[in-house]
Amino acid sequence: MTAGGFDQIHDELRAVARDILGKAGAPARPGWRLLAEAGWLGLEVPGTLDGADATFAETAVILTELGRAAACGPYPGAVLGLGALRQLVPSPGRDELLRRAASGETVPVAVLSDGSRDDVPGGGTPFRLERTIGGPRLYGRAAFVPDAADASHLLLLSSDPDNSKMLAIVGVEPDAAGLGVEVQPVLDATRRLALVTADGVEVPEASVHQFAGDSEAAVQGLLDRAAVAVACDSLGVSEAMLDATVAYAKVREQFGHPIGSFQAVQHACADMLVRVSVARELVDAAVRAVAAAPGHPETAVAASMAKAYASAAAVDVVGKAMQLHGGIGYTWEGGIHAYLKRAALNRSLSGSPAAHRRRLAARYR
Amino acid sequence: MEDLDEFRATVRDWCRAHVPADWRRAQTGVPDEDYVAFQQWWFAELRGAGYAVPHWPARWGGGMPLARQVVLYQELAAHDAPRLVLAFVAIHHAASTLLAAGTDEQRQRHLPAILGGEIWVQGFSEPEAGSDLAALRTTAVRDGDRYVVNGQKLWASGALHADWCLLLARTDPAAPKRRGISYFLLDMRTPGIDVRPIKNAVGESHFCEIFLNDVAIPAASLVGPENEGWRVAQETLGAERGLTMLELAERLGNAGFRWLVEACSRLGLLDDSLVADRLAGFETEITGLRALCRGLVERHAAGRAGPADASIVKLYYSELLQRMTDFGTEVTGLPAHAVLRKPASSGWESGAWLLDFIGSWEWTIPGGTSEIQRTIIAERGLSLPRGRA
Repeated sequence: MTAGGFDQIHDELRAVARDILGKAGAPARPGWRLLAEAGWLGLEVPGTLDGADATFAETAVILTELGRAAACGPYPGAVLGLGALRQLVPSPGRDELLRRAASGETVPVAVLSDGSRDDVPGGGTPFRLERTIGGPRLYGRAAFVPDAADASHLLLLSSDPDNSKMLAIVGVEPDAAGLGVEVQPVLDATRRLALVTADGVEVPEASVHQFAGDSEAAVQGLLDRAAVAVACDSLGVSEAMLDATVAYAKVREQFGHPIGSFQAVQHACADMLVRVSVARELVDAAVRAVAAAPGHPETAVAASMAKAYASAAAVDVVGKAMQLHGGIGYTWEGGIHAYLKRAALNRSLSGSPAAHRRRLAARYR
Repeated sequence: MEDLDEFRATVRDWCRAHVPADWRRAQTGVPDEDYVAFQQWWFAELRGAGYAVPHWPARWGGGMPLARQVVLYQELAAHDAPRLVLAFVAIHHAASTLLAAGTDEQRQRHLPAILGGEIWVQGFSEPEAGSDLAALRTTAVRDGDRYVVNGQKLWASGALHADWCLLLARTDPAAPKRRGISYFLLDMRTPGIDVRPIKNAVGESHFCEIFLNDVAIPAASLVGPENEGWRVAQETLGAERGLTMLELAERLGNAGFRWLVEACSRLGLLDDSLVADRLAGFETEITGLRALCRGLVERHAAGRAGPADASIVKLYYSELLQRMTDFGTEVTGLPAHAVLRKPASSGWESGAWLLDFIGSWEWTIPGGTSEIQRTIIAERGLSLPRGRA
């Protein structure tokens, strides 16, 4: 298919998503069944498992629109969970999870890193498996995990006791004995983050999944996927705030003229558009890279650039939106605060801009 | 992909064989004649390889696919090749104007001549028509089969060496200011033309004043209809901007940024987390710029370019160049102040950081200042209500 063909599919997907999310309130609270019926949950699931055989490029369209709508719900967490499942050695258990995830029966959320440490680009395994006479047991903790509290199945990244060089994914139910999932309230009311702890959780052997390929590359690919997913959200947030600000500047009058005719306002809006345009290019490039070559070093570069730029740009763009909306922009009722909190949270999720630039700069030596 | 790798290898081999090893030193502080001769020689070298006008249509000697153009510009920059400074207006502005709005006769007359080394200058700005370009006062009065031109042009870059000039002049003083302007091709050997160089902030004299005193232009040298010159100039702007920026963006990434990293490495600054952070920020922004430029060219070719896309690219490049050369000046410290000259024929980032930094205002001011670009982006790109300026 030509690039133009993909563009058209993405345009249609985007239009549908904007329509559905537009009807889901503000901030949007789309129900999980709605997302399943729209086919968004199974986008990347193989057709043989009732999925759509699509790629991260299509998922990214949805992620961006969720950001635009400041939508609630565990879709980003599930995107990471599905991404993790697809990297595992196929097994009946894994395939069943993928099938049920596509239909919306289960919400698999991956826990890959501890958000209290800003070293996401480098990783660091949050959980460890220990062999005991009674079978494997899981220990560890990960703070500030997006969507973990809404998961019906948790996929925890763990060290493998049988092979110190390998990592594994351990699937557990949230109500397993010894597992803690404690919501950590944050200012962004559109998100739910949780502290996930495992203190000797008994794990059936069938729930310990090996990565199909090199586990280090697979985990890197998943961390990049997580970072780019956040970058997509930030891009959507920026787009929404630019649109809202331009629309407001056209109708809000002061001194007898629309404020959008004043140069100070025009130039601020122009700067917003430039930032959003650059962010979109970097995010598009990173999305293509994640879809085509997950775990590849060049994909990591594109992911870090997109996350560093788009997540920082969104804070600036929303900040300008609040400023240009004047007094109403600062009110609770006005709603821009929700976007500012979301943009600020995005900036810290999946590695700060500074952490990603550290990773980029390591290549200069 | 394989095809591109092969092409890259070909360009690399060509660069190794043709880029003179010592040209930077040899071209530093040279007299004007030597600079012009060097530019003409380099243009002929590129032409011989088919690399001089890759962006032109195939029938005129171009036709290189966009992906290959990007590779060509990357490799030329990576091998520190000289830039085509003197031919710049000819191969970009003049060519895109002729291709978009010229007659067959005008194209036949000039495109092969440009490929043969004909040098062009742009005669748009005037003392009272800078940012407000449409306020230009130079007049062209029809007199039989010719126009007689009087007035003064300013900031005409390269006018001293130019064979031809892209000229905007007023043909209907009574019409609203954008409606009474016509677009001409002016032979610089015509009697009545006086060119005087102006020294710029870097100390170079490549831009000039052009005084026009009863200068006769044949009516056949009108481009587009009479009084439609503003539209012709606007329409060709987008096309040329994307193509010129493609090369400049690749050069910023493959030469300027590389030198910045090398300078920081030499000074032991890569261990400084603030420096490393700034470098990674610049690399990220240059990557975004390169994608923007490529997107602009692709959208333009597909007829889908937005009305402010060219302004976004120009504004972003200009200010990124300024911030990056500023940073280069800051990190290289006092030694940057002792670099008194930069090599002629080098890019906007030559590694002479302070001179490059000062020279970056030649991007944020001409061709529509950054302020004008922001207004265009707001009013055309975002459809905000027209301001009072």
